[in-house]
Amino acid sequence: MSPTDNELMEQVRDGKVEKLAVLFERNQTMLFNFFLRLTGNRAASEDLVQEVFIRILKYRSGYQGDSRFNVWMFQIARNAHVDYLRKRKGDVALDDQFEEVPARDPLPDEAYEADQEAALVRMALDRLPARKREILVLFRYQNLKLREIADLFDCHVGTVKVQVHRALKDLSRIYYELQGGKAS
Amino acid sequence: MNCEMIQGRFADYLTGDLDDEARRDIQSHLASCPACRAEIETLTAVWAKLGVLPQEQPSGELRHRFYAMLEDYRNDLESEARKPRSAGLFAHWRELFTLRRPAFAAAFSAFLLLAGAAGGWLAGGGPGKSTRLSSLQQEVQDMRQTTALSLLSQPAASDRLQGISYSAAVRNPNAKTLDALISTLNTDSSPNVRLAAVEALFLFRNQPGVRDSLTRSLASQDSPLVQVALIDLLVEIRESRAAAALKALVKNEKLNPDVKKVAEQGLKQLI
Repeated sequence: MSPTDNELMEQVRDGKVEKLAVLFERNQTMLFNFFLRLTGNRAASEDLVQEVFIRILKYRSGYQGDSRFNVWMFQIARNAHVDYLRKRKGDVALDDQFEEVPARDPLPDEAYEADQEAALVRMALDRLPARKREILVLFRYQNLKLREIADLFDCHVGTVKVQVHRALKDLSRIYYELQGGKAS
Repeated sequence: MNCEMIQGRFADYLTGDLDDEARRDIQSHLASCPACRAEIETLTAVWAKLGVLPQEQPSGELRHRFYAMLEDYRNDLESEARKPRSAGLFAHWRELFTLRRPAFAAAFSAFLLLAGAAGGWLAGGGPGKSTRLSSLQQEVQDMRQTTALSLLSQPAASDRLQGISYSAAVRNPNAKTLDALISTLNTDSSPNVRLAAVEALFLFRNQPGVRDSLTRSLASQDSPLVQVALIDLLVEIRESRAAAALKALVKNEKLNPDVKKVAEQGLKQLI
């Protein structure tokens, strides 16, 4: 049976750092998509994935293994993203940065652009306030449980549930506005 | 259950994380509340729409940068392990260097340049320098092989493919790495992985035992793609002992006709 991510990370912590290669192969695409949905920038997203793995090595001795590796990794990923925003904006208050719409790369080709619905969903997601966008991305795409997201945000699980509901309501309104219609 | 409570349970509703009682309560509220019913339909539709976003792939450059970083880290670890008494000093210098103090960084870089030039001048390419360099290169090679072995034993074919490309980057593979590649060629369940193993072993054709293993592997392959790749390889390296293996293969009545043709042509070139 293949080792779980937790088992691999425990081995990395205990000195078998080459096992990080397996964790990288398993998680790089998921992390890349997480950052891409937050930043809209492919180059920055790749830099951030690399930064996450550098930090995993840096903090490996502190890995406890009492929660899912995924949650620990996303804690690191969120911190890396916050630092990325800080670097980009210098002195602008972090709360304001979280309200910022990502500077999305132009769509790469016509075939991509032709997918109108995906483009619309992407645009609607970009216009969500950053915290709601992050919660929704974690919940919808990153396979995290509500309780795990609550741990990440250091809040009650009930708060996350309410925020998921609000985020979807906002997203629905934005989506139908962009579409030129109304939410039913 | 009232409208506010429904909103609190909507996330659970989406993931199906509700017990029977909660589900019944929600359904009974929805039956009597058109506003909640309309909202839940809209939000469920938006939730479904989020599924249209494709999963995007990072570039190969990311993988390349990751493995370079991992090698650097491993080398640093081993160097520090060998110099326990200077570890504290090393960490201190690193810390200073990462403080982002431009004047210090510039001065330190200039110092390193001078030190490097002086060191080069003093050493003059003598035996000490080349020993250290080759020892570092050996560490990189060892790191590559350890990572490759770890990846080759993974259950996902993509991991094993990565392990093969990683082992192919080793200059002088050790017996363990060669054995792992040969065993992958003979027993891996994925023809793609076996094909990649053929290509990697071609690079190591001059290592002891590899030509023999490649020749023997021909009889155990069942995928026409792998068979053709192996025949091409054996013909290209002019492996004389392969002629007998090709003759035996051609006699096999169950052999794919295209493979048979390639084997017959190969035989003409070898004999």
